[in-house]
Amino acid sequence: MTSPGDVLESYVLLSALIFTIGGVGFLVRRNVLVQLMSIELMLNSVNLLMVAFNRVHGDAMTGNMFAFFIIAVAAAEVAVGLAIVLSYYRLKSTVYTDEADLLRH
Amino acid sequence: MHAFEKIFPADDFALLALILGMPLLGAFVNGVFGKRLGKDAVRLMALSALGVAFLGSVLTFFLLHAAQTGGEGGGEQAARFVWHGWQWLDLSRANEAGLIHSGAAPSMLQLEMAFSVDALSGTMALIVTGVGFLIHLYSTSYMENDPGYYRFFAYLNLFIFSMLVLILGHSLPILFIGWEGVGLCSYLLIGFWFDQSANASAGKKAFVVNRIGDFGLLVAMALLIRYTGALDWDGMARGSRGLMTEIPIWNGHLFPASFPSFLTESHSVTVATLVGLSLFLGCAGKSAQFPLYVWLPDAMAGPTPVSALIHAATMVTAGVYLVCRMAGIFTLSPAAMFVVACIGAFTALFAATIALVQRDIKKVLAYSTVSQLGFMFLGVGVGAFSAGFFHVLTHAFFKACLFLGAGSVIHAMHARIHDTDASQDVNNMGGLKQYLPRTHLTFLVSVLAIAGLPLTSGFFSKDEILYSAYTRSVVSPSPNAFVWPEWTGTVLFAVGVTAAVMTAFYMFRVYFLTFHGEFKGWKIVPGWQGAHDAHGADGHDAAEHAHAHGADLHDGTEHAHGPGPAHGPAAREDAHGQQAHTQVAGELSDGPQPHESPWQMTAPLLILAALAAVGGFLNAHPLHIVPLEHWLEPVFASAVDAARLHSKDPDDALMIPLLIPGVLAFLVGSSFAYVVYLQRKGLPETTFAARFPGLYQLLFDKWRVDELYDELVVGSLEALADASVWVDRWVVDGILARLTALLVTVWGHLLRLLQTGHAQAYAAVMVLGLFGLGWFVAVPQPEAAVSGDAATGQYAVQAAPGLGYSYRWDADGDGNFDTDQFGAFGQVTLTLEEGASREVQLQVRNAFGRVKSGSFSVSRPRHDAAAPTALAAPRGAPHLPARVLQRAPPAEGNVPPAGSAAAVPGGTPRGVQ
Repeated sequence: MTSPGDVLESYVLLSALIFTIGGVGFLVRRNVLVQLMSIELMLNSVNLLMVAFNRVHGDAMTGNMFAFFIIAVAAAEVAVGLAIVLSYYRLKSTVYTDEADLLRH
Repeated sequence: MHAFEKIFPADDFALLALILGMPLLGAFVNGVFGKRLGKDAVRLMALSALGVAFLGSVLTFFLLHAAQTGGEGGGEQAARFVWHGWQWLDLSRANEAGLIHSGAAPSMLQLEMAFSVDALSGTMALIVTGVGFLIHLYSTSYMENDPGYYRFFAYLNLFIFSMLVLILGHSLPILFIGWEGVGLCSYLLIGFWFDQSANASAGKKAFVVNRIGDFGLLVAMALLIRYTGALDWDGMARGSRGLMTEIPIWNGHLFPASFPSFLTESHSVTVATLVGLSLFLGCAGKSAQFPLYVWLPDAMAGPTPVSALIHAATMVTAGVYLVCRMAGIFTLSPAAMFVVACIGAFTALFAATIALVQRDIKKVLAYSTVSQLGFMFLGVGVGAFSAGFFHVLTHAFFKACLFLGAGSVIHAMHARIHDTDASQDVNNMGGLKQYLPRTHLTFLVSVLAIAGLPLTSGFFSKDEILYSAYTRSVVSPSPNAFVWPEWTGTVLFAVGVTAAVMTAFYMFRVYFLTFHGEFKGWKIVPGWQGAHDAHGADGHDAAEHAHAHGADLHDGTEHAHGPGPAHGPAAREDAHGQQAHTQVAGELSDGPQPHESPWQMTAPLLILAALAAVGGFLNAHPLHIVPLEHWLEPVFASAVDAARLHSKDPDDALMIPLLIPGVLAFLVGSSFAYVVYLQRKGLPETTFAARFPGLYQLLFDKWRVDELYDELVVGSLEALADASVWVDRWVVDGILARLTALLVTVWGHLLRLLQTGHAQAYAAVMVLGLFGLGWFVAVPQPEAAVSGDAATGQYAVQAAPGLGYSYRWDADGDGNFDTDQFGAFGQVTLTLEEGASREVQLQVRNAFGRVKSGSFSVSRPRHDAAAPTALAAPRGAPHLPARVLQRAPPAEGNVPPAGSAAAVPGGTPRGVQ
């Protein structure tokens, strides 16, 4: 039986891996839907970290609380983000972000 | 009379409030409600306001008379009735010792809204309300069909109110209120028909020129407060000794001796001279003296009754009144009086020359007014105050009558001509005697009076001024005061007589051209508009002028006033010159004829003409009938004393001989005009104009003084404006605004390159920043600050804090760290000998276990070191201030203070566990 502290390192590493995948995906991919998914990955990697730490420091529920907050915020963000994507698609008939430079011009 | 004396005691003379209040009430009612009240009510209000004010002035006059003669033994004594209104201002002022010579000089200047009346102001108030009433009556008919009827009477009443404030004010500031008030009313009334821009700009011109004079009046007031400590008449008279203070106006020592002597000599003048000159600047503005006279002829743009009331009879004499009122101060300064007299004489001559050739009947009268005002200033300038004031009185009669007569003529001319300029052109008149018998009679009487027919009013007043100009001069008891040159009297007299000859000539010229000969208004009717335009463009030459009236007429233009069929061709035949005007017979058309004015206009004319005829006997000096002089004597008693006024002719022996030039002036001027304009039908003028076109043109263009003003004043102001525009365009707009904008734009363009608009690019930059931050956290930063005191040799090295940092030190400089372990202690202290230096090593370990080291050199300078040695520190260590280093005391050996004893030998930092 391993203690939670022993596997914490694995969780941290996994979380970092997922975060990196999300970050690289956000930077590399041009498809705005994929980028949104990348953002979700990053948020969820943080959630994983939160929950894992909360497991170790079990007497306080701060980590879990924050995980729930982040899930709620992520849901709102996806709602808004998808609405923006939809409008953008209607406007430009594309979902590629390198063509989304209206603010500049 | 006794009852009135009880009701109105001398120290609370509330009658003045009534005299002042009625015109103000009239102005208020007419101005605010006049439009709804209708013409009858406006007329009633205006006339009753003036009537009550006039009756009040008459009553005041009699009360004054009783007070002045009712004293012991029937001798004249000064009487002044004062009405204290209310406290107005309370100016505290420092009581400068040595400047206030009057013992009773108050340390506080209290200005009261007080009004007073004495012989001088009582007489002036009579003129203003009396002549004012007549002119109001005249205006009720003259302005009958004007849409601005109520506005006109509101202004006129306001003018009378302001003029009365000017006259009755008990102190200079109150007078100044009235002074500005009449200026305002003058402006409003000159521009009464403001829809024509010429009228509006004439009003502006009058206002602006008057402001120049008002500046002088303000300066005079400031000087009077400073040096007499008072501004009311009594207080200024009490403190007038302070006016003899000499103040330097030119300090010659500022210039090297090699400069011309007029620069290196110091000059000083008495305050009285400065005050007198400043006051006279104000008077010159208001009373149209050279060089500030230019507004008055333009002021004729206003309605003719206004010209009569404001710009002839009353307001323009305010300057003369002010000089009379301040006589006690003016006579203190011979220099100021000399300037007044000379400017007056020069103006009299100068304006008369212009009046010789003007064609507009009102312009002639305007320049005549300027000239007569010059006579008045000549009189008061030589100290003959009652003579000057007497001329104010007689001039009010005959000039008001002349202007009203001119108004009546213009009124008649409007039967045929509806153009303002053409209806006032004397060349379009002639022969009006038969159409306007009463106007003709009164005009003739006034012309005789102003020209100086013996026994008329103008004869007596002008003659007395000329006599005084010859005999009198102003002297000062002060030894270094200005002394009038010997020739002054002769020159002033000669100039005055010359001006009198010209006066007789131009007045009779106008009279003959207007009332005698053939009426020339008949044939200018067809196409007068075209003739007028050509008149404006042809440069005013006499021959061309006549030409323009005859030829160049629009063939098709037919005027409403019955152009006969013969007119067009007949007029064209007249294109030969002026004489042609008088040769046309059988040209009379059956159009409307000029007609006499209604009784409201002729009655004032008759009254004024009667006064102009007999008014001279108020002060007929040659006949020894001098009630006016006796009446005014107490007012001028302090000014007209033998110490200040010098007379060549104390027993009046020269009085009768000096009458002869005056009479001759009348005879020469009038008979010359008779020959030129009646016998020879104006031919000599045409000949003169043809022979000396330059001189004639110069006179006609009024010596081109307006053009000179345009060049000098307006031109320089415009140059200044152009320069300002240039600065605005190139410095403010160019450098300050555009260049700044350009810099911002360039930077914006550069920075915009970074703004790709791609969210991913921004995210990439964010990631870069995150890496940078992570690197900074991951790598330990060995930084430290060295502080210490060179005097004691105590130094401390403080390491910069960081998250999870631990430190170890080499404080004793032996190359090995003092401890093997890293500790939390971030500071070491050490003591150095003089001139010694040490390398302190620091190693920092962060939370990741990474270690980095740095070294800091700490040195203590020698106390006698010439140059302060900087305490070197590798990175960011502050330098000690130089003064700390220089204050180092002599060396005291290597005695460490108790506090740092543990740190130095062992070098063990505190806090190491």
